[in-house]
Amino acid sequence: MTINTASILTGDEKFDKHLEIGPDPHGAMCTGTGHSRAHVKHDPAAPAHKMKLTKEEQDIMAGKKGDVLAKVMKTVVQYGEVFGADKLVDLGGNPHTVLMFGNDSVAPIIDIFNQCADAGLKAYAPYTLDPRPNDLYNLETTPEMQYKIQQCYNLQDEIEKVHLRLGAKNMNYWSCTCYWPEVGNAPKQGTYLAWSESSAVNYSNSVLGSRSNRNSGGLEMLCNILGKAPNFGLMTDEGRKAKWLIEVTTTDEPQWSVLGGAIGMKVMEDVPFVAGIDRYLGQVDNLSCGKLKDMGAATATNGAVGLYHVENITPDAIDQGRNLLVKGYQTYVIDDAEIDRVRKAYPNLWSKTDAKPTRVFVGCPHNSFHQLYDWGMKVTHALANRGQAKVAIPLHLFCSPLVFDHFLDEHSELVRDLKRVGVNFTNTCPLTFAGIPGITETEFFITNSNKTREYTNARFLNDGALLETVLTGEMPADADL
Amino acid sequence: MAKQTFHGRPILPGKVEGSATVSRIGLNTLSTYKPVMFAGVTDKAICSDGDNKDLYGKDITGAILCLPQTIGSTTGGFVLMGVAKLGLAPRAMLFANHADSLATGGLLMADIWMDKRIITIDLLGQDFLDAVNTGDPISVHEDGTVEIG
Repeated sequence: MTINTASILTGDEKFDKHLEIGPDPHGAMCTGTGHSRAHVKHDPAAPAHKMKLTKEEQDIMAGKKGDVLAKVMKTVVQYGEVFGADKLVDLGGNPHTVLMFGNDSVAPIIDIFNQCADAGLKAYAPYTLDPRPNDLYNLETTPEMQYKIQQCYNLQDEIEKVHLRLGAKNMNYWSCTCYWPEVGNAPKQGTYLAWSESSAVNYSNSVLGSRSNRNSGGLEMLCNILGKAPNFGLMTDEGRKAKWLIEVTTTDEPQWSVLGGAIGMKVMEDVPFVAGIDRYLGQVDNLSCGKLKDMGAATATNGAVGLYHVENITPDAIDQGRNLLVKGYQTYVIDDAEIDRVRKAYPNLWSKTDAKPTRVFVGCPHNSFHQLYDWGMKVTHALANRGQAKVAIPLHLFCSPLVFDHFLDEHSELVRDLKRVGVNFTNTCPLTFAGIPGITETEFFITNSNKTREYTNARFLNDGALLETVLTGEMPADADL
Repeated sequence: MAKQTFHGRPILPGKVEGSATVSRIGLNTLSTYKPVMFAGVTDKAICSDGDNKDLYGKDITGAILCLPQTIGSTTGGFVLMGVAKLGLAPRAMLFANHADSLATGGLLMADIWMDKRIITIDLLGQDFLDAVNTGDPISVHEDGTVEIG
């Protein structure tokens, strides 16, 4: 056996283990759907669980609307039956999918999508996708890195073409935060969805009140082609009940993604009801939605949370209050000491643990308009206060092109100033950028995103320390606090 | 060794006999099959997950895999489809726990869309995983019964 090190791997397990798109350092075990089924036992004497299908659905399964749609139906139904679904429900709003990168690992899915497109099938509504996995223009990449990126995502054209055939919106709409107003894929409360992208499912279910399970990539698109999804888990009233009360008693506003990470690691894929943070949020508005996005994404990546409730803030919690808590719920208190404990446990995964940072990632999931403005003001003011002309290391602000256009429109001089001092705007994904073969040997990323920390070898810093490092290029002495 | 029998849920039923290959920890699918998926290795499925002390370095082509469930990247389902396409997939995946969504999606799509069945049984229970060892004779039956020994 020979390993082609000119391909994606360095050939060194020490580095290669961090090159994946989405490794799971915790080795956490759960169904991944956002709804625990740990209570389910097999009874050999009981008949196999079957979903109840309508006559029309049975006809589709029997091939009366074509062989390909019959396969779509069969796959979705069998999947639903594994997870105890009772029926199919009609989907609304617009789909969103995580499947944005094209390499050998997704070749079988591209084949299936092409079979569907060749049969004239499309998603039930125009859909959004996660961002493209590369940005060859805005990230200060060398020709060697660009060559590796092209090799790494060798089937990128193929997946993009088939998405466009299946009804994807144009690439300006490709962002993990499809729900920001500028992008506009924000379902109404109660809408049934079959989304993937864990952070988008988590935000939409929690902050907007939609109903989607965390779907396996590929399966969600088959549901969207069918226009129906199996009804189980987070799509049901029962599945949206909270098994955990999270009491946040910190003395100050917490770093939201650390708080979310703590919750995720504790509850794994159960639904948490979070109390004590409404005082920092006020209501769902332009400011708080960024905080909820960052907290939620961390619950979804440090754990597998697909839905959370925030007392007095999120729609289910406003409607039902603590009636959302199941009988016998568990309680997890998060105080200052607990935040410190969780934060200090984040490992340093750099290949050279004492290296100097080389790039700063902010915006995973993608920044909102307000977050761009906030970071823009922080950086430019800090530089002015120091009499410093440029940042010490590149700061990459990740965002949708539509959010950037809004920011440019409203704050064109700030955008100009930021570009002049060395800040970049990009619409790609920090996880896939950090997945460039061999990049972890020479690049040392820092971030304020717990999702980026979890899925790459980037080191996590709180916002204050991150800003300081942008200015100095040196890791603060208290970097891990 | 005395024969032990366990009953699981047959998600993709089938009959197979051979020797067991056991992963005590969750099988990180992408980490396991990285050389196959990304490094052009097409003749063997050598487990490349250094965190999996049970399987690391072993050729698991055609294995009857006994595992808690799969973990890791959301590409896990596609990876199973990819190794199936190359003829390097396990013959069976026997889950002690409830099957996870990633493996389920990939296994079902491989079966329905690629006509590549990987026999899949879940809910065999922790007792099953405690009882089985790599190299044990193992028989899998259509109804989800698994016999060790």
